[in-house]
Amino acid sequence: MTSLRSKGTFLKLYSWLPLIILFISVLNEFDLNYLNLDYFSFNFPFILIFFFTLKDFKNFDYIFVFIAGLFNDTVVGLPLGISSLSYILICIATSYFRNITIRPSPIKDWFYFLFVVSLINSINYSILTLFFSFNLILMNYLVNTFFTFTFYIIFALVFKHYLKSIND
Amino acid sequence: MAASRDDLLIAIRSAFLKKSTQQKFSLLTLVLISAFTILLSSLDFRIIKILKSSINEVVYRSSFVVSIPENFLKNTFIEISDYTTFFYDYKSNKDELSQLRSKNISSEITQNENKELKELINDYVSSSDKILAKIIVDHESPFLKSIIINKGSKDNIKIGTNIYDQSYLVGRVIEVNFKTSRVLLLSDLNSNVPVTIAPQNIQAIITGSEDNLGKIKYIKEGLSDNFTEESIVYTSGTGAIFKSGVPIGKLTKLKDESKTNFNVEFYSDFSQLKYVFAEVITKTEIENLDDTNSKNTNPIDAKIKILEDEKEIIEDSNLKFKEENDLLKVKVNELNNQILNLNSKLSDQKEKIDQFNIDKDELEYLRLNLIYSHKCQTRKLFSTGYKIGTPEYKECILNKGKKIND
Repeated sequence: MTSLRSKGTFLKLYSWLPLIILFISVLNEFDLNYLNLDYFSFNFPFILIFFFTLKDFKNFDYIFVFIAGLFNDTVVGLPLGISSLSYILICIATSYFRNITIRPSPIKDWFYFLFVVSLINSINYSILTLFFSFNLILMNYLVNTFFTFTFYIIFALVFKHYLKSIND
Repeated sequence: MAASRDDLLIAIRSAFLKKSTQQKFSLLTLVLISAFTILLSSLDFRIIKILKSSINEVVYRSSFVVSIPENFLKNTFIEISDYTTFFYDYKSNKDELSQLRSKNISSEITQNENKELKELINDYVSSSDKILAKIIVDHESPFLKSIIINKGSKDNIKIGTNIYDQSYLVGRVIEVNFKTSRVLLLSDLNSNVPVTIAPQNIQAIITGSEDNLGKIKYIKEGLSDNFTEESIVYTSGTGAIFKSGVPIGKLTKLKDESKTNFNVEFYSDFSQLKYVFAEVITKTEIENLDDTNSKNTNPIDAKIKILEDEKEIIEDSNLKFKEENDLLKVKVNELNNQILNLNSKLSDQKEKIDQFNIDKDELEYLRLNLIYSHKCQTRKLFSTGYKIGTPEYKECILNKGKKIND
């Protein structure tokens, strides 16, 4: 009986894993760059949100995505609401893409992801420079977009396995 | 065509408004809330500030806890790389330490002098306490280079408080919460620090850059030609944002294709900070003489006070003059004694020189006598010489045998 209950708790926790990872990643703001490579950075929350909202994952509530954005702004030091807006815009883009797609394909998702990330980073850059007078390096955004796009396909494979294990 | 447009509209409307079974809010609502939050955060409302501050407190602490595993990995990596350069570092540190020890003494003297001069200029004495603060979050975002420290308004930290690593400047506080604060690092693009570049004594502004080096801005063209790699950069104190005389870094040469550029290499390595010092400054106004005088309502009292002060000053100066006079008298006596000694030495030396000259003449005479004596002395009948010992004989010898009549 106890083992069944603990198994149930584990499964519940496992089904909430994407959200837990999202919160850990925004609080930690890790970019795994221990080698101090110039410009290297990638936006892991973008990949996570894009994938799981595209798949319409049941435990990936938009309100939590919104709160994760607020946390990210606090940790990074950006004006409150910027990351929330970015994350919600990803959700809108994925929701729209899900509606118009009849036959999903990972390659199509990947290139749509590039378009979405570029668009959102552009919006981000514009808001920060125009309304908040931040001095930002455009090259950082471009490299960040490139690495986020590159790593998407790798993480997508891992997440696919996760989804498969959940469905099983 | 119309049908496809309808499909697009339906898809967009569905994306914005339709809630899935699990979703509690539609995306449009969340977009509006986000936009509203951005708007509010750009306005300086007190309530927003308090709300933001409390969110910060919770998030920073959570971030600290969540970052423990990654920080552990990071520190392990740094420790391993440190061990590989351990011996080399030890040797260079040893050399540096001996150099610094010798410099430290002169530095302390300069600091004291500086403090005295500042007191004279500023009309206030600034006493500062450096509080040790731990860095709880140091995720170097590619967009904003800042750190979070575990000291806030509770510990008298204010916006603009200078932050140090040992005695090197690291940055300044840009956001204060009750128990935490955010520090904008010097390497951030938004950081501007007024500096002096020594020994050329050139004023400039240093801003951060993408490569963790400081960029020199706002200097006249041609002034950078005087820079060398030994030039050091320290805060000038202009604008009263940063305290003056705090070391920041040294200049490094970057060779471009067309010309040589100088950037600032910071003394402190911002990626490896664990603890920093926050300088809490308290300013105590020096009582102004004019103010105290104005408090005296009676003008006669004021006059008497001035006269008394004047008398005191004259007495003081008289005393000083007297002391100086005594000192000078002693010095005059000493100098007189020295002159006497020197005079006696001089006469001794003169005597010696005279004796030497006489001896020299005598020797010369004897030498010539040996050579020309047969020419000058009288020997036999009809000889035209002189008798030995007579002045004529001596003159003949000195004239190398030439007689007076010749």
